[in-house]
Amino acid sequence: MEQQSTVKKKRFPLLRVLAGLALAVLLGLIFGGEIPWFSDTPPIEILNDMDDQFKVKPQVGSTFYADRMASRELVPNTFPRNGVLYPLDKSDFEFVDSIIGANPLQRTDFVLNRGQNRFETMCAPCHGNDMHGEGTVVKKGFQQPPSLLAENSRGLTDAHLFHIISAGQNLMPGYAEKLPVNDRWTIVQYIRSMQESKPVE
Amino acid sequence: MYTKATDKLIKKAAIWLVAVIAVVFHIGYFGFHNRVTDVGYRPTQPVPFSHKLHAGDTTNGGLGIKCMYCHTTAEVSAHSPVPPTSTCMNCHIAIKTESPRLQLVRDSYEKNIPIEWRRVHKLPDYVNFDHSRHIRAMIDCSSCHGKVEEMGVVSQAKMLTMGWCLDCHRNPEQFIVPARPISGIFTGVKAAAYQPNAKAELGTPAPITEPSFGYVPTDVPKQEVAGIPMPKKPGHGPENCSACHY
Ligand code: HEC
Ligand code: HEC
Ligand code: HEC
Ligand code: HEC
Ligand code: HEC
Ligand code: HEC
Repeated sequence: MEQQSTVKKKRFPLLRVLAGLALAVLLGLIFGGEIPWFSDTPPIEILNDMDDQFKVKPQVGSTFYADRMASRELVPNTFPRNGVLYPLDKSDFEFVDSIIGANPLQRTDFVLNRGQNRFETMCAPCHGNDMHGEGTVVKKGFQQPPSLLAENSRGLTDAHLFHIISAGQNLMPGYAEKLPVNDRWTIVQYIRSMQESKPVE
Repeated sequence: MYTKATDKLIKKAAIWLVAVIAVVFHIGYFGFHNRVTDVGYRPTQPVPFSHKLHAGDTTNGGLGIKCMYCHTTAEVSAHSPVPPTSTCMNCHIAIKTESPRLQLVRDSYEKNIPIEWRRVHKLPDYVNFDHSRHIRAMIDCSSCHGKVEEMGVVSQAKMLTMGWCLDCHRNPEQFIVPARPISGIFTGVKAAAYQPNAKAELGTPAPITEPSFGYVPTDVPKQEVAGIPMPKKPGHGPENCSACHY
């Protein structure tokens, strides 16, 4: 009897050691972060030293105000110090020439580089990198914009281009919020240089 | 007194002691280590927004929208914002207008209430971290956030511990991924000195031919770190405590 049980215990010794090792390696990989281990629960904090301070932080709500907005809207009849984003509306298209002047930026390498970067970031999803109006979003069903190399766009003044970028046109959204003034002018300069170097469509 | 039984007992006790210490050490070290508690944190978001679809490479069936289209101010401010609802509506005003998955986005747009996205990456409030300094050094988002453009739901990829920050500040060559086109980071001439917000007034934008405002690191000869021009000399981040804690 005794003989038998000891023999039983020692069956597959190598296999057991290997299985143990494999388990250890697996645990090591998971805990070591090599195998991603996703979790929906927030990280555990043992000591929450001064991790969450009671102060206003960007894009975080505030319990101080009833509407829970930390960044406050303007008090009526006041204006922000750095001016209004863009005072004109989509429908003001005809007047823009008398209000906005020519492009204040000269065509330097820097301005063109920046314009290209901004165009490919903010405009290319719809207009496409090559300005033909075949961006990735258009392929998924957005209305196709006209080519910016076509006759119509070449006829627009700098001020008109600036206005369309800032306020939008029909289905095209305005970008006054997302593009600072200088960036919008660099885009205008970039579109102009593309129009001059590419054939009319 | 020292019989065979006590000998066995001591041996057994020793084995158990080692085992218990090992288990406690592992649970203590790994179980509460930041890697386990932070990396892989993937909260379910209120809207099933997918970076894989929107920012993913066009060859992968993604739309290839650059990160900077939505996370606009990462290059000029400390904070890289999660986009407001109006950014989504730039396209979704005309795309998938009936989709039930976008119901919350449309509600938020009409009622002017922000969508409450759940935050993934969070440093303690006593740490000063600045996106713009890193983006202007042309460090790609993926050096710190992993390949977000391949994630259906964003999860944390790096530890965000002090050691991790310092590792890169000491040996940037090993940790920096140079800016990729997919991120939309400005890598043109003199990118580091440019301040698009300078004098942002309608009608009188600063007549720039050169990005002459802001800090001027340009006289330092550009050095190549992992193939990218670094604006600061060897491209090291700071290691003094006051740069990150104040
Ligand atoms: C969400 C998609 C979208 C984005 C992004 C977009 N546009 Fe447009 N754009 C359009 C559509 C659609 C039209 C056509 C509008 C119409 O029907 O009048 C258009 C029209 C235009 C026109 C007028 C062309 C003409 O011949 O009348 C210009 C100029 C223009 N866009 C420039 C830009 C610039 C510069 C940007 C980047 C800041 C940009 N667009 C970003 C969709 C977009
Ligand atoms: C179409 C807009 C859009 C684009 C393009 C986009 N994002 Fe996002 N991003 C969002 C939204 C919305 C959230 C918040 C919801 C979430 O976490 O999924 C977010 C969240 C994130 C977060 C997590 C924020 C947190 O709470 O910690 C990171 C990191 C991030 N994006 C990085 C990127 C990178 C890198 C790219 C480029 C490859 C990119 N994003 C492109 C819209 C966008
Ligand atoms: C530049 C254009 C663009 C922007 C900006 C954009 N999306 Fe999209 N989104 C699309 C397109 C195009 C599709 C549809 C792709 C398809 O048909 O497969 C889509 C699909 C979706 C879907 C899946 C809808 C479904 O029923 O399958 C969700 C959810 C979504 N977007 C959320 C958002 C959110 C939230 C934002 C704002 C952070 C946003 N999108 C910003 C272009 C955009
Ligand atoms: C040097 C590392 C680093 C780089 C490069 C970097 N980030 Fe971050 N990002 C962080 C850290 C750290 C946080 C957490 C910040 C905090 O909690 O204050 C963060 C937070 C974020 C958030 C969440 C902000 C919030 O409050 O919800 C977004 C969105 C984001 N990053 C997007 C980007 C994008 C897009 C890029 C590329 C243009 C980028 N990041 C490049 C380190 C980086
Ligand atoms: C992938 C590499 C990398 C990582 C990760 C990284 N940094 Fe940096 N950091 C840099 C480089 C390179 C610079 C120098 C940028 C320059 O020369 O303009 C820098 C600069 C800084 C500065 C600017 C100091 C100044 O002079 O204004 C601060 C602050 C900073 N880092 C904080 C952090 C913190 C906090 C973290 C961790 C959450 C972090 N960094 C993670 C590479 C990194
Ligand atoms: C590159 C930026 C950076 C520098 C330089 C830096 N720290 Fe930190 N420090 C951090 C970050 C990020 C954290 C948060 C780590 C975490 O959340 O796990 C932190 C956390 C800490 C903590 C709290 C640790 C805890 O878990 O409670 C202390 C204490 C600290 N740092 C001290 C210092 C001292 C002392 C120095 C100077 C020798 C220094 N730090 C330099 C980025 C930095």
